[in-house]
Amino acid sequence: MIGQVIAAGLGTVAFALLFGVPRKYYVYCGLVGGAGWWLYSVLVVYVHFTLTEATFFATMLVVLMSRFLAVWDRCPATVFLTAGIFPLVPGAGIYWTAYYLVTDRPAEAADNGFAAIKAAVAIVLGIVLVFEVPGRFFKRFVTLICHKRGSGG
Amino acid sequence: MEIGDNEMMEQEKMEQQDHKVLEIAMSAGHILLENGAEISRVEETMERICRHFGVESENFFVLSNGIFTTGSQNPESPNGLYAKVLHIPVKGTQLDKVVAVNQLSREVEEGRYTIEQTKEKLEKIRHMPGKSFHMQVLASGVGSACFCYLFGGSLTDSMVAFAAGFLLYVFVLMTGTFRMSKITKNICGAALVTLLCILSCRLGLGENLSHMIIGSIIPLVPGVPFTNGIRDIADGDYISGAVRLLDAMLVFLCVAIGVGAMFMIYHRCFGGILL
Repeated sequence: MIGQVIAAGLGTVAFALLFGVPRKYYVYCGLVGGAGWWLYSVLVVYVHFTLTEATFFATMLVVLMSRFLAVWDRCPATVFLTAGIFPLVPGAGIYWTAYYLVTDRPAEAADNGFAAIKAAVAIVLGIVLVFEVPGRFFKRFVTLICHKRGSGG
Repeated sequence: MEIGDNEMMEQEKMEQQDHKVLEIAMSAGHILLENGAEISRVEETMERICRHFGVESENFFVLSNGIFTTGSQNPESPNGLYAKVLHIPVKGTQLDKVVAVNQLSREVEEGRYTIEQTKEKLEKIRHMPGKSFHMQVLASGVGSACFCYLFGGSLTDSMVAFAAGFLLYVFVLMTGTFRMSKITKNICGAALVTLLCILSCRLGLGENLSHMIIGSIIPLVPGVPFTNGIRDIADGDYISGAVRLLDAMLVFLCVAIGVGAMFMIYHRCFGGILL
């Protein structure tokens, strides 16, 4: 799994570069993407969540981290979110849907297409829910950490 | 009721200044919208700039591909009214410009820049260079390889995915220079990737055709319009959100069509079972 998490992180950084994210944020993007995939696979493998549920919670983690980093470094959350969400986007679902469609297996195509839509909806809900959390919450959190760090030397 | 010459001049000056501020706000909004910011951020930034420079009468209406602005200091005077419509076609995303404008608007709010200086800064941001061709192509390859591995491909598969993703972005960037609809571009891109992966599989390179293809189509996935569309709808900007989500869905669909079409063509030409 460690290999996969690293791959997710590295892949996220690659897409961060494609979207023109400033260089100093690459590491953060990688962390966000890696963490998202880590939670996703933990939930699927160890907690036996369905893929949709796992996508939902992993998305929430990705958005939480993005918003936190955005307040921390005073920049738009989009910077981390756009690339960080990539490992969770159902790219594989699209492929399998197309594959089963052309190989004339409509039942499997429908299953995969439906799963991809469910994953997309899970992502939507995850993003929307976490953006409802007021910004004050993140600000307070950041000042708390900064304060601790400051007093601790 | 006569207004003195001095007062008239004063007023004209004020109006000119207001127009300049609105011009700057529009230009900031333009950069943000073009490079993949959410609608609410565009509106907020424009408002912030106007507030700071003392323009109170402005109204913005921001859509996913246009900004409408009006402002009037004094509607009775002939030059008092400012109205402008800016059409902004969807272009590639450069998030560093969004970050830069965001930073600038904060600094403006702190009172660090005059109107002229802000204008200069915005010009500079507008001309910020993007990532070079080599870097983009390389990033696309690395991303493809990583995602191929992530979805269960072996190391050889990832290597093939690297090459496919690399060539895919060469194709994407080359076709970016001449007019080609997004639909065609994405169908062709996905088909190209599928062909490359099938060929390398036939040559004995790579074991899992599916994983290779999944990895290499990932650079085509419309991450920016997808996340932005969701956020716009969550913010209540339904028109822009719907347009952006439609954009994303269309690309998803095109990628699926491209992959499927290539499978069928290959099957027709060379027969044999589909892998």
